[in-house]
Amino acid sequence: MDASALSNPRLQAMLEEEKRKAMANEFVAKLTDVCWDKCITGSIGSGFSNSEASCLSNCAKRFFELKMLIVQRVSSPR
Amino acid sequence: MDSFSSSSGSPPNTEALMDQIKAQLAQAYAQEFLETVGNKCFAKCVTKPGSSLSGSESSCISRCVDRYIEATGIVSRALFSSTR
Repeated sequence: MDASALSNPRLQAMLEEEKRKAMANEFVAKLTDVCWDKCITGSIGSGFSNSEASCLSNCAKRFFELKMLIVQRVSSPR
Repeated sequence: MDSFSSSSGSPPNTEALMDQIKAQLAQAYAQEFLETVGNKCFAKCVTKPGSSLSGSESSCISRCVDRYIEATGIVSRALFSSTR
Protein backbone atom coordinates (compact mmCIF):
# COMPACT_ATOMS: atom_id res chain seq x y z
CA MET A 1 0.00 0.00 0.00
CA ASP A 2 1.30 3.39 -1.00
CA ALA A 3 1.47 5.57 2.12
CA SER A 4 0.97 8.76 0.13
CA ALA A 5 -2.46 7.58 -0.98
CA LEU A 6 -3.47 7.14 2.65
CA SER A 7 -2.24 10.56 3.78
CA ASN A 8 -4.03 12.33 0.96
CA PRO A 9 -6.20 15.04 2.58
CA ARG A 10 -9.06 14.29 0.19
CA LEU A 11 -9.09 10.69 1.38
CA GLN A 12 -8.95 11.82 5.01
CA ALA A 13 -11.89 14.19 4.46
CA MET A 14 -13.86 11.45 2.75
CA LEU A 15 -13.21 9.02 5.61
CA GLU A 16 -14.39 11.61 8.16
CA GLU A 17 -17.53 12.18 6.10
CA GLU A 18 -18.18 8.44 5.79
CA LYS A 19 -17.67 8.05 9.53
CA ARG A 20 -20.38 10.66 10.20
CA LYS A 21 -22.68 8.98 7.72
CA ALA A 22 -22.07 5.56 9.25
CA MET A 23 -22.97 6.84 12.73
CA ALA A 24 -26.18 8.48 11.49
CA ASN A 25 -27.01 5.37 9.49
CA GLU A 26 -26.45 3.12 12.48
CA PHE A 27 -28.63 5.29 14.71
CA VAL A 28 -31.50 5.29 12.19
CA ALA A 29 -31.20 1.52 11.77
CA LYS A 30 -31.20 0.96 15.53
CA LEU A 31 -34.21 3.22 16.07
CA THR A 32 -36.16 1.65 13.22
CA ASP A 33 -35.49 -1.75 14.79
CA VAL A 34 -36.69 -0.65 18.26
CA CYS A 35 -39.66 1.41 17.05
CA TRP A 36 -40.82 -1.27 14.61
CA ASP A 37 -41.21 -3.68 17.52
CA LYS A 38 -43.03 -1.07 19.60
CA CYS A 39 -45.36 0.34 16.94
CA ILE A 40 -46.06 -2.38 14.37
CA THR A 41 -47.92 -4.83 16.56
CA GLY A 42 -50.67 -5.96 14.17
CA SER A 43 -50.51 -7.68 10.81
CA ILE A 44 -48.65 -6.06 7.92
CA GLY A 45 -50.92 -4.08 5.61
CA SER A 46 -50.26 -2.45 2.26
CA GLY A 47 -49.51 0.84 4.03
CA PHE A 48 -49.10 2.16 7.55
CA SER A 49 -52.17 3.41 9.40
CA ASN A 50 -51.96 6.98 10.65
CA SER A 51 -51.48 5.75 14.19
CA GLU A 52 -48.63 3.43 13.17
CA ALA A 53 -46.90 6.21 11.24
CA SER A 54 -47.19 8.72 14.08
CA CYS A 55 -46.10 6.09 16.60
CA LEU A 56 -42.92 5.49 14.55
CA SER A 57 -42.25 9.20 14.31
CA ASN A 58 -42.91 9.85 18.01
CA CYS A 59 -40.90 6.80 19.00
CA ALA A 60 -37.85 8.05 17.12
CA LYS A 61 -38.12 11.57 18.58
CA ARG A 62 -38.69 10.36 22.15
CA PHE A 63 -35.82 7.87 21.93
CA PHE A 64 -33.58 10.71 20.83
CA GLU A 65 -34.76 12.84 23.79
CA LEU A 66 -34.11 9.96 26.12
CA LYS A 67 -30.56 9.65 24.81
CA MET A 68 -29.99 13.35 25.43
CA LEU A 69 -31.40 13.09 28.97
CA ILE A 70 -29.14 10.17 29.75
CA VAL A 71 -26.10 12.01 28.45
CA GLN A 72 -27.00 14.99 30.68
CA ARG A 73 -27.66 12.75 33.66
CA VAL A 74 -24.42 10.87 33.31
CA SER A 75 -22.24 13.90 32.62
CA SER A 76 -23.67 16.25 35.29
CA PRO A 77 -22.18 16.09 38.79
CA ARG A 78 -24.46 14.60 41.40
CA MET B 1 -12.90 -6.66 -3.75
CA ASP B 2 -11.56 -8.47 -0.73
CA SER B 3 -8.41 -6.43 -0.37
CA PHE B 4 -7.34 -2.86 -0.97
CA SER B 5 -4.56 -3.83 -3.32
CA SER B 6 -4.97 -2.95 -6.96
CA SER B 7 -5.02 -5.69 -9.56
CA SER B 8 -2.21 -4.21 -11.61
CA GLY B 9 0.28 -4.47 -8.75
CA SER B 10 1.01 -0.76 -8.79
CA PRO B 11 0.15 1.34 -5.72
CA PRO B 12 -3.55 2.27 -5.74
CA ASN B 13 -4.27 5.90 -6.47
CA THR B 14 -6.49 7.86 -4.10
CA GLU B 15 -9.42 7.88 -6.50
CA ALA B 16 -9.52 4.10 -6.81
CA LEU B 17 -9.08 3.65 -3.09
CA MET B 18 -11.99 5.99 -2.33
CA ASP B 19 -14.24 4.21 -4.81
CA GLN B 20 -13.36 0.88 -3.27
CA ILE B 21 -14.06 2.08 0.26
CA LYS B 22 -17.44 3.52 -0.78
CA ALA B 23 -18.40 0.31 -2.55
CA GLN B 24 -17.48 -1.80 0.47
CA LEU B 25 -19.38 0.50 2.83
CA ALA B 26 -22.46 0.32 0.59
CA GLN B 27 -22.21 -3.45 0.63
CA ALA B 28 -21.92 -3.49 4.43
CA TYR B 29 -24.98 -1.22 4.80
CA ALA B 30 -27.00 -3.42 2.45
CA GLN B 31 -25.96 -6.58 4.29
CA GLU B 32 -26.94 -5.15 7.67
CA PHE B 33 -30.26 -3.99 6.27
CA LEU B 34 -31.03 -7.40 4.77
CA GLU B 35 -30.15 -9.09 8.04
CA THR B 36 -32.53 -6.90 10.04
CA VAL B 37 -35.39 -6.97 7.52
CA GLY B 38 -35.06 -10.74 7.25
CA ASN B 39 -35.38 -11.16 11.01
CA LYS B 40 -38.30 -8.73 11.35
CA CYS B 41 -40.30 -10.11 8.45
CA PHE B 42 -39.65 -13.72 9.36
CA ALA B 43 -41.03 -12.99 12.82
CA LYS B 44 -44.06 -11.16 11.38
CA CYS B 45 -44.94 -13.32 8.41
CA VAL B 46 -43.71 -16.86 9.06
CA THR B 47 -45.34 -17.61 12.39
CA LYS B 48 -45.65 -21.35 11.80
CA PRO B 49 -43.04 -22.54 9.29
CA GLY B 50 -44.48 -25.17 6.97
CA SER B 51 -42.87 -27.31 4.29
CA SER B 52 -42.68 -24.29 1.99
CA LEU B 53 -43.53 -20.59 2.05
CA SER B 54 -47.24 -20.19 1.34
CA GLY B 55 -48.62 -17.59 -1.03
CA SER B 56 -49.91 -15.50 1.85
CA GLU B 57 -46.55 -15.70 3.61
CA SER B 58 -44.78 -14.58 0.44
CA SER B 59 -47.09 -11.62 -0.04
CA CYS B 60 -46.76 -10.74 3.65
CA ILE B 61 -42.98 -10.76 3.25
CA SER B 62 -43.07 -8.45 0.26
CA ARG B 63 -45.42 -6.03 2.07
CA CYS B 64 -43.23 -6.28 5.17
CA VAL B 65 -40.08 -5.33 3.26
CA ASP B 66 -41.87 -2.31 1.77
CA ARG B 67 -43.15 -1.28 5.22
CA TYR B 68 -39.70 -1.65 6.79
CA ILE B 69 -38.21 0.62 4.16
CA GLU B 70 -41.07 3.07 4.78
CA ALA B 71 -40.47 2.88 8.55
CA THR B 72 -36.77 3.65 8.03
CA GLY B 73 -37.81 6.75 6.08
CA ILE B 74 -40.24 7.88 8.80
CA VAL B 75 -37.62 7.43 11.53
CA SER B 76 -35.00 9.23 9.47
CA ARG B 77 -37.31 12.20 8.82
CA ALA B 78 -38.37 12.32 12.48
CA LEU B 79 -34.72 12.62 13.52
CA PHE B 80 -33.32 14.88 10.86
CA SER B 81 -36.13 17.22 9.90
CA SER B 82 -36.12 20.54 11.77
CA THR B 83 -39.41 20.14 13.65
CA ARG B 84 -39.04 18.14 16.82
